[in-house]
Amino acid sequence: MSEEITPEIFNHLVTLAALELDEKQAAYLRRELNQQLKAIHELEAIPLDEDLKVTTHGVSYNLANSPALREDTWQPHPNPDEILAQAPQVDEHYIIVPDIPHEKLD
Amino acid sequence: MELCDRSAHELLDLLRSKEVSAQEVVQSSLQRIAAVDGRPGSLDSGEETEQDRGTVHAFISVTAEQALEQAKAIDQQRAKGEPVGLLSGIPFSAKDVFCVKDTYTTAASKILANFKAPYTSTAVERLQKQGAIMLGKVNLDEFTYGSSNESTAFQPCPRNPWDTSRVPGGSSGGSTASVAAGEVPFSLGTDTAGSIRQPAAFCGVVGVKPTYGRVSRYGIIAFASSLDCPGPIARDVTDVALMLQAIAGADPHDSTAANVPVPDYLATLEQGVKGKRIGLSPDYFQISYMDTESGEIHQKPVQEDIRAAVYHIAEVLRSMGAEIIEDVPMPNTRYGIPAFFVISRVEAASNLHRYDGVKYGYRTPSTEDDLRVMYRKTRNEAFGLQPKLRILMGMYVSAAQYSEQYYNRALKVRALLRRDFDQIFDPQRKYRLDALLTPTTPTTAFPIGAIYGDSVLMQYADQFTVTANHAGIPGISLPGGIASDGLPIGVQLLGPDYSEHTLLQMGRSLEIGTQDEAWRTQKPAVLR
Amino acid sequence: MTDYEVVIGLETHIQLNTKTKIFCACKADSWDDEPNTNICPVCTGLPGVLPVLNKAVVEKGVLLAKAMHSDIRMRSFFDRKNYFYPDLPKGYQISQYDLSLASGGYLDIPMPEGYTRRVTIHKLHMEEDAGKTKNAGNLRLIDFNRCGVPLVEMVTGPDLRSANEAAQYLIRLRQLLRWLGISEADMEKGHLRCDANVSIRPKGSDQLFTKTEIKNVNSIDNVKNAIEHEVERQIREVEAGNRVHAWTLDWDEEKNELRKMRSKETEADYRYFREPDLLPLDLTQAWLDEILKDFPELPLERKARFISEYKLPEYDADILTGERNLSDYFETAVQVYAGDPKKVSNYLMNDILRMLNESGKTANQLKLTPAYLAEILKMVDAGQINTSTGKNLLEKVETSGRSPKSIVESEGLGLVSDDSAIRAVAEKIVDANPKEVETFRAGKETLIGWFTGQVMREMRGKADPKLATQILMELLKK
Repeated sequence: MSEEITPEIFNHLVTLAALELDEKQAAYLRRELNQQLKAIHELEAIPLDEDLKVTTHGVSYNLANSPALREDTWQPHPNPDEILAQAPQVDEHYIIVPDIPHEKLD
Repeated sequence: MELCDRSAHELLDLLRSKEVSAQEVVQSSLQRIAAVDGRPGSLDSGEETEQDRGTVHAFISVTAEQALEQAKAIDQQRAKGEPVGLLSGIPFSAKDVFCVKDTYTTAASKILANFKAPYTSTAVERLQKQGAIMLGKVNLDEFTYGSSNESTAFQPCPRNPWDTSRVPGGSSGGSTASVAAGEVPFSLGTDTAGSIRQPAAFCGVVGVKPTYGRVSRYGIIAFASSLDCPGPIARDVTDVALMLQAIAGADPHDSTAANVPVPDYLATLEQGVKGKRIGLSPDYFQISYMDTESGEIHQKPVQEDIRAAVYHIAEVLRSMGAEIIEDVPMPNTRYGIPAFFVISRVEAASNLHRYDGVKYGYRTPSTEDDLRVMYRKTRNEAFGLQPKLRILMGMYVSAAQYSEQYYNRALKVRALLRRDFDQIFDPQRKYRLDALLTPTTPTTAFPIGAIYGDSVLMQYADQFTVTANHAGIPGISLPGGIASDGLPIGVQLLGPDYSEHTLLQMGRSLEIGTQDEAWRTQKPAVLR
Repeated sequence: MTDYEVVIGLETHIQLNTKTKIFCACKADSWDDEPNTNICPVCTGLPGVLPVLNKAVVEKGVLLAKAMHSDIRMRSFFDRKNYFYPDLPKGYQISQYDLSLASGGYLDIPMPEGYTRRVTIHKLHMEEDAGKTKNAGNLRLIDFNRCGVPLVEMVTGPDLRSANEAAQYLIRLRQLLRWLGISEADMEKGHLRCDANVSIRPKGSDQLFTKTEIKNVNSIDNVKNAIEHEVERQIREVEAGNRVHAWTLDWDEEKNELRKMRSKETEADYRYFREPDLLPLDLTQAWLDEILKDFPELPLERKARFISEYKLPEYDADILTGERNLSDYFETAVQVYAGDPKKVSNYLMNDILRMLNESGKTANQLKLTPAYLAEILKMVDAGQINTSTGKNLLEKVETSGRSPKSIVESEGLGLVSDDSAIRAVAEKIVDANPKEVETFRAGKETLIGWFTGQVMREMRGKADPKLATQILMELLKK
């Protein structure tokens, strides 16, 4: 069986994932992905019946045990500067990153 | 016996009667850490030394000064006769995915090595409110991805206190190792495919995966949001019950933390197992494994001494009044890992999107003119292999053209896994079980380096535990014996939603029923 | 030369005017705040945080869905939309994909030319806003204050046929949002944002051709301009034998021109999946009934009713159903007054509107309440004061907050209707002006106006002019 994730597909995934890999890592990861897919293909053997309901979680939630929605009351975080202090580059209260180059219309 | 080897409930008695002080308790734990833990995990650890190979390395960071200060304050309160919390003076460790204000929370990853959370996770806050004292953060597989703790970026990785050439299990390996080595009485871990139960089994301690939504996930660095469960790890059932009591319950910060009242777990702990229906399923005594050549999944029986240990435990419980029901069918068990490969990766990839070097954590030092390059370099330089593997698989199986075939199908299989449990626990149907008794793991702790690199084999270490994560039900792993290789065997009890009190009760019975057995006198190698 | 038809669909993002953001308790409105001060761990996507849904967001979304005649789903879901962008801290936006709060619906847009364009609504969903970025050289500056503000996105069908119709849609939508009280809908402040999908086709065709998307247009006029420019450009391209490409365009309002944006998003696969940190949103019938129990009459319906029930001319009805507070004010005044609605309308459209414009208040903030206005009108009708006193009273009531009756009493503004008092003054005037009396008696009866004026002046405007004239006529014709 030919590999499901070809180098082309793999490279596309790497771009989508905002990664850039060296050859050794790329080769290892692509191999492992294809191995895992073989295990995943086990899922195809199972007959799925119509009355199977897909849910967001395994546990069931109902009106009684679901937490209530939040009331619309302002509660400011006590120290926003602590959050800003985590950023690698800050200037005059803005977080700074490099820009994405723009394309002009002809 | 050293203070640090005592259980939390024993220590609480000693503290209340003022036979010992909180400072003495903390000192004892710190001394044990100094004696057996060796180097804490760090990013630039260099070569592994001979000494490294004989020590536990459970911790990434120990906050000794704060701990002693808190202990001192508690002692003063006690002296003045002021009220103190229910866990006052008891040290604990927290897996380094629990955000704690003003401490580093690294997720064992380079990408968060310098991240100091400006807030505290609910679970830790609740423990601290009861006076429990955090000694530090323990090591884990990077971003909780793994079943051996080897993938941490903070090396040396934790080692199994029973045999330091072996893995402690993962991803809460630091948690279980710190408890098994007597460094703390209890630890907070998380369980997404078995990450509390599997290392608990490997390290010979008790670990509980509560019902999904029983304990708030607020402040815990997420792996798979629909599967993650924070939970307690300790050396005995009473301690685990104490810890669960403190952390369980709804939280306005977590929309999935259910509004279900928390029972008094300690009140029912000693009620025994008379009349309880406990099932055994042949599907949990067959191991699935992949033939690396053909890629086909085969089955073989579980290791004989593990099988024997579980059956022995069944006998013990039967002699205490439980009804043991054999041949309970759990036909979809073998699909637990394949479904997990899909669902968890989709959520993990998404949960990792936020690590982009913009707002916190690592940003690539190379100056870039293009944001896209900054993203790529940051994530490439700071994510280990395991996160990269999960991100790429997640991207693949959720891509628009594949999502029906993979993601949506896996969700349906999850519903099947849930149905397997619904049917055996349903009081109106044939089996009407109170719990299912299974081995926790297919094998005992494997050697360090033996499996790492084979991601399929590694994931299959969770095949008996992952089903509970899919279904959302609670599970407990308890020490059930020692194997012929001298390593702990874990047995697992799985129950219906919110049946933690029953599982704890059964676990306590199991403890009482096996308390005089020979294997219980054995100690981890680092403590001999 | 081919005749072309323009096909336009609009995607609007509406910022709701709840107090707090959609998934955390920071403020929803931080327009005037310093950057990165209105933030918390949740809206900045810190590790370990979780979203908690704001109830008021759902309620306002439901009001909008009802106004759009949409089908409201009793169970809807949130989904993650995954992509990388610096203003999106989690790297995904929590939105609603396939099973959103509402689907279907329409909005009727009456056009000045006399026809009505029905715009279908394809989808209505809730989502969180991203932060703001701005450029400084080759750097981006990020401000997360706005991150997490609640938005409702509405996507129309490709039903609009001109830039004017698109502008009218936005005008009507803005009016409706303010009417319902769910958004300030100020485009300049980003409360209402619009992306336009524009394509052309030969007239008579019912195919849909490649469309371009115009983004970041921040006023209704600019939407109109941008669409007109784009239509011209597409026609030029097609006439020159070129294809229209599915570009994303940006409107530069200083240069009055369109710019091509990076086509990053047209390639994106957002890999939508159910948001695992939130439960499905369940609307119970009881909750739905509670939300809709005070659902107001909508502007166009009310306009029609004002015309048919109150016999108001269309022009008046239009103004009196433009803004909710003014409209409710008018209706209350009419009901209390129980007289000719046109009289009330005159006061509103002139004096009251002027008062509101000058003070910047909304009608519900006036101290001159509808009941007080009705009182003034009734006093004029009853002849207790004359119309000019009535007009002056408006200002006095507004300034003092006292009832018209009490002001009239304390300042003695009431019209004198006492026959003998007026008679006395009238006799005095007649005696004092024999020449005019003679001229009147000689036939110049129009002089009655002058005589009445003299009496009014003598009585400092407080005489009931009709009575004064009557008495004078009596005296003069003797």
